[in-house]
Amino acid sequence: MPNRRYETLILIHPEQGEAGTKELVVRIKQLAENQGAVISQLQDWGARELAYPVARQRRAYHVLLEFRATPQALLEIERNLKLMEPVLRYLSVRRAENAPPAAVRPTAGGEAPRGVEATDEVSAGDDGEVGLMNHEEGV
Amino acid sequence: MPRPERGAPRPPRRRGMGRRKVCRFCADKGMLIDHKDGRMLGSFLTERGRIIPARVTGTCARHQRHLTNAIKQARTLALVPFQTVYPQ
Repeated sequence: MPNRRYETLILIHPEQGEAGTKELVVRIKQLAENQGAVISQLQDWGARELAYPVARQRRAYHVLLEFRATPQALLEIERNLKLMEPVLRYLSVRRAENAPPAAVRPTAGGEAPRGVEATDEVSAGDDGEVGLMNHEEGV
Repeated sequence: MPRPERGAPRPPRRRGMGRRKVCRFCADKGMLIDHKDGRMLGSFLTERGRIIPARVTGTCARHQRHLTNAIKQARTLALVPFQTVYPQ
């Protein structure tokens, strides 16, 4: 079965709160892994302003998941995402095999994203802080 | 009225002044079209959120195609507006 590179951006309802969001992300991760997906990157963009209200919310938590999986596995993952109430929106995209891993995005019109802090302002003399990146270890 | 010779190359006609526009994505290979980059996509939208035609931005056909796709994907993810005037 072909194993393909995918990338899914998920918008999560802000009422979940920090803890609830973390929990949900873990659930999504497990869901993907149960389907045989190998997660290569997990980006937490934090709560960001939406371009327009979705489900009467002006902001949402954004999580980006990069992984390899079979097309069947993706279908199953998406089916389950659809069933999760706090997931407002998601979009999966197939990535080219030779495409670089998704870059950490700066947030436009949101508060500073957790997980990207180590890039710009902090970089001066703050070398030991690479652990701020929220990427998955060792996967 | 005398017609120009058949097959004669038409003189390049450029209406208006100003310099030729160059596709930003061709000029800068590092600039990638990404549906997750709302800020970049936003620079190809009008105030109201409409996609600016390639004839205005100078984007080449190929990149404009990728760009419109990316913008439409970004719209479903609420990274970029469908329109900016919403009934409230």
